[in-house]
Formats: sequence, structure tokens, C-alpha cells
Amino acid sequence: MEMIIILVVLALLAFWAARIYNQLVELQNRHENGFSQIEIQLKRRYDLIPNLVETAKAYMSHERETLEAVISARNDAVAGLAAAAGNPGDPAAIQELAGAEGVLTGAMSRFNVTMEAYPDLKASANMAQLSEELTSTENKVAFARQAFNDQVTEFNTYRSSFPPVLFANMFGFSTDAALLEFEDSQAIQAAPKVSF
Amino acid sequence: MNFFQAQNKARHNTRLLTLLFIAAVGSLVVLTNLLVLVFFVDSQPGLSFTQQIVRAPQELWIYTSLGVVGLIAVASGFKFLALQGGGKAVAESLGGVLIHQNTRDPQQRQLLNVVEEMAIAAGMPVPPVYLIREDSINAFAAGFGIHDAVIGINQGTIDLLNRQELQGVVAHEFSHILNGDMRINLRIIALLNGILILGIIGGALMRGSMFSRSRDRGGLIALGIGLLVIGYGGTFFGQLIKAAVSRQREYLADASAVQFTRSSQGIANALKKIGAHSTGSRLESPQADENSHLFFGAIRSFSSLMATHPPLEARIQALDPNWKPNKGSSQQRSSTGSQGGAASHFAGQSEGFSERCGSANLASAQQLISSADESLNNASHDTFEARALVYAMLLGADEATRGHQLGLIQQLAEPGVPDLVPTMYAQIQRQDQQHRLVLLDQAVPTLKEMSRPQYERCYDLIGQLIVADGQVDLFEWVVHRIVTQELYAHFVQPFRGSGRITRPGKVDKQICQTLSLLAAASSQNDNQRLLAYQRGATLWGSRSAMMDVQYFDHQVLNQSLEKLRHMSADLKAKFLDACAAIVAADGQLKNGEFALIKGIATTLDCPLPPLDN
Repeated sequence: MEMIIILVVLALLAFWAARIYNQLVELQNRHENGFSQIEIQLKRRYDLIPNLVETAKAYMSHERETLEAVISARNDAVAGLAAAAGNPGDPAAIQELAGAEGVLTGAMSRFNVTMEAYPDLKASANMAQLSEELTSTENKVAFARQAFNDQVTEFNTYRSSFPPVLFANMFGFSTDAALLEFEDSQAIQAAPKVSF
Repeated sequence: MNFFQAQNKARHNTRLLTLLFIAAVGSLVVLTNLLVLVFFVDSQPGLSFTQQIVRAPQELWIYTSLGVVGLIAVASGFKFLALQGGGKAVAESLGGVLIHQNTRDPQQRQLLNVVEEMAIAAGMPVPPVYLIREDSINAFAAGFGIHDAVIGINQGTIDLLNRQELQGVVAHEFSHILNGDMRINLRIIALLNGILILGIIGGALMRGSMFSRSRDRGGLIALGIGLLVIGYGGTFFGQLIKAAVSRQREYLADASAVQFTRSSQGIANALKKIGAHSTGSRLESPQADENSHLFFGAIRSFSSLMATHPPLEARIQALDPNWKPNKGSSQQRSSTGSQGGAASHFAGQSEGFSERCGSANLASAQQLISSADESLNNASHDTFEARALVYAMLLGADEATRGHQLGLIQQLAEPGVPDLVPTMYAQIQRQDQQHRLVLLDQAVPTLKEMSRPQYERCYDLIGQLIVADGQVDLFEWVVHRIVTQELYAHFVQPFRGSGRITRPGKVDKQICQTLSLLAAASSQNDNQRLLAYQRGATLWGSRSAMMDVQYFDHQVLNQSLEKLRHMSADLKAKFLDACAAIVAADGQLKNGEFALIKGIATTLDCPLPPLDN
């Protein structure tokens, strides 16, 4: 009789562990899928920037440095995105991307400030359309990033909550996933509004 | 066979399967008991085997039987738990990657478009699509019902098939969903896993005891071999059952795919391409084995008895009678007529309304999607803009309400969204109600990509926009129904109708209420209303008088539907026929009627293909 009770208890324990494992896998998949949402939007942003610089070149021939800074920061960010997309669970890759994005945002805001000195450029229809599209893409990046961070938080909270924390290491979920925080995320929202 | 008959049949088959399985477990228990007896009962000379069995200690019987039943239950339970995640869980276990609705890859965009068209044509929610990174041509559908279904497609499929062929494959997968095959499929996976565990334990026992030094060594090895034989033998017969069930369903799904696309060429050509492709439809992933019966084409080559799919030649010939297997250039030939095989059996419009559920109206769906504004279509595929689209749909007609609503959006929506709403409102004004609802259908899978907090914020705002003018009209009601049914189910908890109500008398009051409401929406004229109601009530078989409906009370309707969603498939079919009779009474489909029917069908989990006016 005791054996039966022990067996039943063991079976229940096993079920319970299986549930925790399934939940962990589901939450991990969810935030990894969430990252590819950011990837789509960031790629779009990185595609728009060279067009923007190209358009600006015609007007801002004396500002070669600013333009080059934007392009090089953009290229670094593209590389960072590729690395992070390969492994969204790796905190180091996410940090790398966040850093590159920070540099790019800084370069873009300098570019925006410089642009204020060229009224012709600001007035050009092409530039207005590109800026508009860039702003809307940045809104989308912010939204996708928010979703990703929510999902990462959900995963991390679950992973470190009481019963799952006992199993998480055993199941191979030993580290928290990293949030994607841009140092200058306020500036992304504010950048187009800068005015002198 | 319509949706409701298919659902009934699927339920019936599941029951049959469970019976078969209980029988299998029973025989496994008997076999294992015999095995244990042979090895562990001390043989006494002079007694026959039967006498020994009778004298065996009772505990041995009990422990062995409980052990076997327990093991099978635990192993099946494990698998069943893993499958509770529905189609998503299966797709992810196969290494599938979700394709986002706003993908910029042209091939993936085309695939999503094809899936979306087919979903709208079948009148069911647009399922998420997963990409499997394998080069062979294959696809699968998985899930428990139409609300948690997913579709998985191999990279090779989108690389090698053209749009028409892709459409054939996707239609095939949709008919698995609508025929209720997926539920059975998932059950089979879980049950087979239970039987297999005996064999696995037997194998472990055998290997383990080979190295042991105990005196019972020989007995343990023999017991291990015995369990191995029983477990794998059981699995073998289980596989036979699974394969036989699966082969039947494949022919049916091929035929339905022809019915959906009105063309046998697409799917026939896709099958021919599989035949000509070097890796065919084979899959590398070892996880694919247990899911083999979910796929479009066979994932391994088996002998005909174990094959989960009928031979390619037979499938092609069923679709294209003129085709002859001809090694080498076979894939070049195809029949000339686009209306081949099963398409000619497609019945006309004269059938009952419920007959149409579970079929698809591809031409109408394509027309509905393509006639919408290009930018609105794009907005419905972007997580960010899709919300603005839904908000814009809910803006009221009069200036004061709209101002109030825009204020709410400004206050509660994420940055960037309030700027989008007015432009979208202008565009959406040009769309009629049916188009707006199609746009909403398109937006649903996109909105499912939000995070939980984002969903809560969005859902809350939708609720506030609806009640901003102090009343709920029919259109607002149906928007709320769809959003709740799809998004609430996705983010919070899916709803599954029990199908427990089988006697019409039990829901007479609710039916009568709903039909009265529908009749009231069908006409301004009291006499015509009564006439329409009587038509519907007669079809349902109720003698209750029409209720007086002064205005649209969404709370009463929701309460009625809450009960009606527990009706059996037969009753649902009958109820929808009664609804359709009321709508058809005056020969025209009004906006209010359409919204009501759509909301009712969504709440009752019935697919509703687009209606032709």
C-alpha cells in the first residue's frame, strides 16, 4: 500500500515539474519571437538612414563628419542587430546592440540639430517624407521593444519565482534574459522635435 | 460534409479511439501479468500452468496491473500536458519560427497573404504561421480547434511552389482544421506515447540487468525483453491504427482543398513537385516522427501498411484523372481543365446555410481583401498601426462623440498612435461594414503579437471607446465580440464550448430571444418582422411567440449566447439555419443582420465564410 502512495506522489511531482518546464519553454519562445518583431522594425530604420544621409549630402556638403558619424554608427548597429538576432537569449549580445543603438541615436540627434541650420533641406519634400517615416519607425521600435521587455520580464519573474526556481537550473534556464534598454530612449521620442 | 457534421464525426471518432485504446491497455495489462507470472511464480511440479496462475499471490496481480496502468497514464499525461499549449507547442517543438505579420520578406509575405485569404474565405480566425527551416516540400496544421490552430510550412515549400500551388497546400491544411482532424491527431500522439513507455522501460531493464550480478539476472533480462516486445508491439499496432486513420483523412483533405480553391491544379502540381524534388517531403527533424500524420506529405518512406499518407501517385490521380505516372517527365504534364475531380461535386447554393460552414469562398475573400485600401491592408499587418485601425473603426459618426473618443485615445494610447487615428478614420469611412470586419479579421493575428500589458491597455481602451457615447450599437457589439473571442482567448484563457446541451427545449427562451432580435434588425415593418421571425422559429421547431424588441440590448444577447455556445454541433447548425432563414426572408442582407450573424457565429465558434449579397 505504501508503495502505491509513494508512486502516486512521485507521479504528481513529475507532472508538476513537467508543467513548470513547459511554461518556461513557452515564455522563452515568446520573448525570442518578440525579438524578431524588434528586428523587423530596426532593420527598417537602418534601411531608411542611408537614404536620409544621401538626401542630406546634396545640401550639407560641409558637414561630412556628422554624416559619416551617422553612417558608421548605423553600420555598427546593423552588426549588433545581426549578432543579437542570432541569439536573443544572450545578455552580452543584447548589451552590445543596446550600446550600438545608443551611439546611433546620439549621432542621429546631432544630425537633426545640424539639419536645423539648413532650411532648404528641411523644406525639401523628400526629406520631410523620410523624416516622417523615420519617426513612425522609431515609434514602432519603441512599441516592439516594450513588448519584448514585457515578455522578458515575464520570463525572468517566472524563472525566479518560488517553485520554478528549484527546477530552472536543472532544465537549463540558468540565466535571466536581458532587457533591451536604449540609453537614450527618451531622445528617440524627442529627437525630431528639437528646434532652435 | 459540412463543418458541424465533421465536428460530430470527429467527436465520435475520438470516442472510438479512446475505446480502442482502453482495449489496448487492457490487453497490455493481461500480457504483462502473464509475463510476470511466468518468471516470478515458483513453479511447483505437478501443477498445470492454469493452476499456478490461480495460486499466484493476489498482490502480484494488483501491483503489476496498477504499475502498467499507472505508467501508461503518466506517460500519456506528460505528452498531453506538453500538447496543452495547442498548435503553438507542436510547431515550436518542431523547430518552427513564427513569421511576423509585418514581415518584409516577399516570399513570407506571399505565404501570409495566401493563409489570410484562405482563413477569410473559410470564415475562421487567421492562424499564426510558423516556418520550418527544412528544404523539403511539406506543411502541417496543428491545434485543438479553430481558435488555437497554427500552420507550419517548410522553407522548401515557399522556395519551390508558385502561388497557386501554395494555395493548394494551404487549403489542404485548412481542411484538416475544419474537419476536426487535429484534435484526433493530438490525442493519438499522447496515447501512443503512453504505450511506447512500456517498451522503453523494457529496453532499459534489459540493458541494466545485463550488467547486474544478482541471481535473478536471467529472469530480469527475460522480463525486459518481454516488456520490450509488448511495448513496441503495442506501439506497432498503434502506429497501424494511426496510419490507417491518417490515410483516410488525407484523401478527404485533398478533396476539400479542391473544393476550397475551386481548382485541382494547384494541389496536384504541388504533389507532382514533391515527386520530382530530390528530398521530396522528407523531414530531418527527429521530433517530426511522432507528428508524422499532421503533415501534407509523407515525412519518411514506409511500406504501404505503415504509411501515414497514401502514395503520391494515387493522390495525384484522384485529383487529376488524366495524369499517368511516367518516370522522368511526369511533373511536366497536367490536366487542362481547372475544374477537375472533386470540384465538380461541389454543391450549389440551394443547400441549408449551415452546409456552407466548413467550406470556403475564396473568390469573395480575395475580392474583399483586394478592394480595401492598400494602406489599410498594410496597417492591419503592423502591430503598431493595427491598434489605430481598430480605434478608428470605433469612432462615432457625430462630432461631439468623436471628439470625446479622440481625447480618450490621446490620453490612453501609446505615443504615436493618436496621430495615426484621424488619417485612418478618413480612409475607413470609405469602407462598408463587411470590409471593415474583414480588416478586423486581418488585424487579429497582428494584435496577438502584443505583450500582455500592451494587450490590457489596448483592450481597456477599446472598451472605453465603445461605451463613449453611452450606448452599444450592433457594429460596436460585433467588434467587441470578435476582439474578446480572439484576443481574450489568446492572452487570458481560451473558451471551449462543452457541447453538452443536446435538447432544443433547454434553450428555447434564449433561441427565441436571439431570433426576435435578428428579426427586429431585418426590417422596419412590424408585419415583415413577424413573418421573418416565424420562418426562423418554424425551422428551429419552436412555438414561442416573438418577443418585443424595442432597442438593441447587448447584455441580453450576450447572456443568451453565453448559454447557446454550449449547444451540441447539431443544434448549432440548426440554429444558424434558423438565423439564415430570418435574414433571407426579405431577400436582402442588411448591415445590422450581417453584424449580428457574424457576432453569433464567432461566439459559437462556427466558421462563417463570406456571404454573397
